[in-house]
Amino acid sequence: MLNDATRFGLVSRVIHWAMAALILGLLILGTKLNTMQPGLANLWLYGLHKTMGLTAFALVLLRLIWHRISPPPAPLGPPKAWETRVAKAVHHLTYALLVLIPLAGWAYASATGLDIMFADRWVIPPIAPVSEAWENGSKLAHSVLTKLLMGLLVLHVTGALRRAVKGDGTLSRMIWKAQQD
Amino acid sequence: MRLILFLALLLTASSALAAPELYRLQPDLSSVGFETDFGPDRITGTFPIAHADLTLDFAKVGASKVAVILNAAGAQASFPFAAQALKGPKVLDTAEFPEISFISTGVKAEAEGATVSGNITIRGVTKPASFHAEIYRQQGTEAGDLSHMTIRLTGAVMRSDFGAVGWHDMVGDQVRLDILARIERAN
Repeated sequence: MLNDATRFGLVSRVIHWAMAALILGLLILGTKLNTMQPGLANLWLYGLHKTMGLTAFALVLLRLIWHRISPPPAPLGPPKAWETRVAKAVHHLTYALLVLIPLAGWAYASATGLDIMFADRWVIPPIAPVSEAWENGSKLAHSVLTKLLMGLLVLHVTGALRRAVKGDGTLSRMIWKAQQD
Repeated sequence: MRLILFLALLLTASSALAAPELYRLQPDLSSVGFETDFGPDRITGTFPIAHADLTLDFAKVGASKVAVILNAAGAQASFPFAAQALKGPKVLDTAEFPEISFISTGVKAEAEGATVSGNITIRGVTKPASFHAEIYRQQGTEAGDLSHMTIRLTGAVMRSDFGAVGWHDMVGDQVRLDILARIERAN
């Protein structure tokens, strides 16, 4: 369950891959919402996006808390190598965006004045006033930060695959704990 | 219910009634429906009528007067988010402007029914508007009995004229109104 000096525990790996699936789904769904013609038949997709986004937000908070309880292993490779530095920077920035993007989306939804429903059942309290300025600003932030995240995820995946090809164990230790045993 | 066209009613009633008659609304039997486009679909709903003053002059149509106040804050729509959006600050802003009012400035008989012109106030903005009107005897009343009438007013407003521009990229600008007012003679 716990992380150790060289390996990711089950909790970290499950959260990582659950977030990966959620974020991929959110990016696809968010892109669709931006381009589709809204109607009664697809109105539920907006609610799904909010539910998935809030879940991803909860998972990133859980992950950050978990890392305080059980610190993750240090990156593989020489600490001062450019790849290691880039990987660390990408990780830190990605975490920041994974907090800021759902907050911006939550603020945007709050500023419209409409109820924010989780799983079409629970009303989530607003975090921003009902205001056109808040709505426009948080919508822009949500959009710009999401595009930045897309770029970082390309870097993250490219780096992980590159290291997998080199066989240094970076990708495999996020998949199987036994790999490092 | 037998339909009596407005003009026909005037012809038959003018000899019997030579003075304006005050009518009062039967709120439980009346409704104000609206609809607007939402992508390929429609959003429909209703507004409660808060108050209505109606004076009908069957001999001199132009002397008839209509004043209606709708309870915008009590609006209902075909799905919950639509009602919330409708009443919110981006559309009707009912917290600030809880009522919609219409006061007629003229009534003109047409070949079928009549045209009621007047001023409608939405979100505190007053603009001229006109509605097509038809008047019927209520079901169960005798021919020539004008004590209980039904007036149907139909027309449309452009919500952007009143600053109600929220969700303009999703929801149509034209809002079609269908007012069914059942009224009874006050005396």
